[in-house]
Amino acid sequence: MVGDWKLNQATVVAQNEREKQLLSGINLTFRSGAITLLVGHNGSGKSTLLETIAGLRRLHSGSIEQGNESLWTSEGRKPRLNKTIVMNTGIALQQSESQWFASTVREEFDYSLKPYGITSEEREKRIISAMEQAGLPLELLERDPWTLSGGQQRRLAIACLLACEPQWLLLDEPTAGLDADGIRRLCAMLDAHRAAGRGAVVATHDLDALLPLADEVAVIDGGSVREAAPAASWAAAHAHDAAAPQAQRALAQLRAAGFAPPAEPSGAPWPAPRELAALLAAQRAATPVQAAAAQTAAACTAATEPPPISAAPITTTTLAQPNRLASRFDPRALIAAYLLLATTILLQHSWAGLAVAAALSAAALIPLWEQIRPWLKAIRAYIIMIAIIAIIAGLHFNPVSFDWAPAMQNLQRFSGLLLVMMLGMPLMALVTPLRVQRSLEQTFGWLNRFKVPVTQVALTVTLIFRFIPLLADEWERYVKIAHARGKATTASRSLPFRMLLPAMVPYIRSLLRMAEQMADALEARGIGHPAAKPTQGLRLRFSREDMLIVIFAATAAAILIFIR
Amino acid sequence: MFLAKNLVELSNVSVKPLTYGDKMNAQPYLLQHIEVSMAGGEWITFIGRNGSGKSTLARVIAGFGAMHIEGRVERDPVRFVTGQVPIVLQQPDASMIGSTPWEDVVMMLEQHGVEGSKIPELAEDALRLVGMHIRMHQRVETLSGGQKQLTAIAGCLAVQSPMLILDEVTAMLDPEACIHVLEKVRELNKRGVTVIWITQKLEELAASDRVLALEQGEVRFDHKAESFFARDEDGRSICESMGFTAPYVIQTAWELEKLGLPLESLPMTPETLAKAVQQRW
Repeated sequence: MVGDWKLNQATVVAQNEREKQLLSGINLTFRSGAITLLVGHNGSGKSTLLETIAGLRRLHSGSIEQGNESLWTSEGRKPRLNKTIVMNTGIALQQSESQWFASTVREEFDYSLKPYGITSEEREKRIISAMEQAGLPLELLERDPWTLSGGQQRRLAIACLLACEPQWLLLDEPTAGLDADGIRRLCAMLDAHRAAGRGAVVATHDLDALLPLADEVAVIDGGSVREAAPAASWAAAHAHDAAAPQAQRALAQLRAAGFAPPAEPSGAPWPAPRELAALLAAQRAATPVQAAAAQTAAACTAATEPPPISAAPITTTTLAQPNRLASRFDPRALIAAYLLLATTILLQHSWAGLAVAAALSAAALIPLWEQIRPWLKAIRAYIIMIAIIAIIAGLHFNPVSFDWAPAMQNLQRFSGLLLVMMLGMPLMALVTPLRVQRSLEQTFGWLNRFKVPVTQVALTVTLIFRFIPLLADEWERYVKIAHARGKATTASRSLPFRMLLPAMVPYIRSLLRMAEQMADALEARGIGHPAAKPTQGLRLRFSREDMLIVIFAATAAAILIFIR
Repeated sequence: MFLAKNLVELSNVSVKPLTYGDKMNAQPYLLQHIEVSMAGGEWITFIGRNGSGKSTLARVIAGFGAMHIEGRVERDPVRFVTGQVPIVLQQPDASMIGSTPWEDVVMMLEQHGVEGSKIPELAEDALRLVGMHIRMHQRVETLSGGQKQLTAIAGCLAVQSPMLILDEVTAMLDPEACIHVLEKVRELNKRGVTVIWITQKLEELAASDRVLALEQGEVRFDHKAESFFARDEDGRSICESMGFTAPYVIQTAWELEKLGLPLESLPMTPETLAKAVQQRW
């Protein structure tokens, strides 16, 4: 028997912007032996919350406990996860259905079960039972997991989880992509899990399928808990929401019209269609004719009252900054300025020259501090690397001595490179893909006459720019999945080496899939159609500000050449 | 004979994936014997399981993709100026290529060869139609899935597409966003935009929608939504025979029917169910 989960003021911040809270002050208790649904808009923080409970995200402040044990222990210098809790908890993320890296389904099970160190008979028994519960035929065990259909892969992800027999199940959108039969099995599985005295936390939009099963509901909005209530009373209170399940709304409408099947205090949030029909029929039989007429009149007035509009507007969550900075400057000015500064910085061969270069770079970078900040870790790593290289360059072993000249020379070289690197860092935030595309076209467009495919190349550049930010996000997803499956107890950013392969294989596959999806979407929107002759709706113009940037860069470059 | 009121007419259309040489004969048909015509301003919902041919049919209508097509596909040459219709797909992250809604629609117009000087105005008008003009210059990372889909829809409107083809655009959205997108598209349809709405969710059907149900590449049903759910004397409906689960209100109406209390017409929404019960009781 395991204890309840208790979250106390749990707060999680974004990795690169520490003042941005993804979860703020969450206080929740998940009862063992109950199923709790997490509901809320996309991007409200449901998935982040699930990942935080599973220890896949670091807590900024607050605490998480299971029973009387804390999820994070801080013996030693680095925080580590509590092994018992990790082994007790099974989490399925949204991408878990594409987590495969082994060559057969059986090997996937073996990998999931490895941390539990069970005998091979026990393992076989568990695999068979998990396959049966998920509704997968045993022949599939020897198949390559990637040859299974989408629905089968989703079932397999659940089966891998079940084989570990976790006390707690944390599921993210488990019904997505499952057909009716798959959903029935999932519900039966959850029901059995609860009956065994175990608990589950499920993030979902699919209230139609899961609300009838739930004990509690917690509404997450903008990273905090807006509401937490028993499922039945929550369902009754929200029956008028435009986005409520159809059954719930139907019931609410019938109640408003005076044909109220009474709200059930416990159990299912709505009766099965058969029961509802029986209730309505019984009511009709019991109502005398005149009374019925009176009731109809009353009901009509009741029904014409508009239901309270409680559906939250879609325009919530992120208070978005308009993209002003990115469309303020002409990319041509930025690139010209960058090239001028970079070249002249690299020409410096004296410490004095470097100092002037550093001062000029600082003048350019200070207003862009916000854009530099995400890179601070990389900068620090680079500085450490420079120091180490300099030391190695200066060391002599026979006899052991230290020669300053080569060390300083190295230091100088790499410091110049560091400045050039740092100047380049904010560039991505100062341009948008379309503006880069256009600056390429406007600068090199004349080459089109010589059959150089400038337009095509420029469009490709735009698409690559759009694609790059997705790469890091996707990698992080698969790192989390591998971390959770391997039952690692390190902080989730540092994946143990042995789990690299289980993250790498599905990551690469997912990139290929993403590229395919994008190509498909582009074609479907008619972009890149050979017959089309692209035009230019956006023309870049050099503004005074752009002029100033180039003049500043040219002056700085002149100074740097002069003092060289 | 092509009728003037029709946008598209398909007669006896069969489709295979495109391959070369002898392999072609061995390919299975993706679609077979399709007879469909669509009038301007219509709303048609395509339903069917995965692999039933819904998306393929949409692509044939739109004039996309490399496919081997037999039979006759005719499009209104006046309204299909470019000969193609853009389709919006289900993955919101893949549906936008610009870094803001404005940039996205501008790129769409540029790539379709619309005259440059007209583009900014056309883009803003289209974004206004779907209610995205207030977020015109917002970065793509800060947009929700529904907002990305509406931006993609604005792109289709901007290039004066003769119809909107929306292939499961609500599949990845949360319930509120689904309703919002569906409402916006219904609004556009009321203004005269022809819509092909492809979905797995039968709850999205409205009264008297035209439903086109596909099964294994063939049209199994092409009529009003009400008759899709209507049960015959044996108590069977097309919906059930195709293996779909009917929405809750339909199931309730069926159960009432079984108890000898049929409603006047099949209700498609909770509101119509309540009203029908009132009238009958």
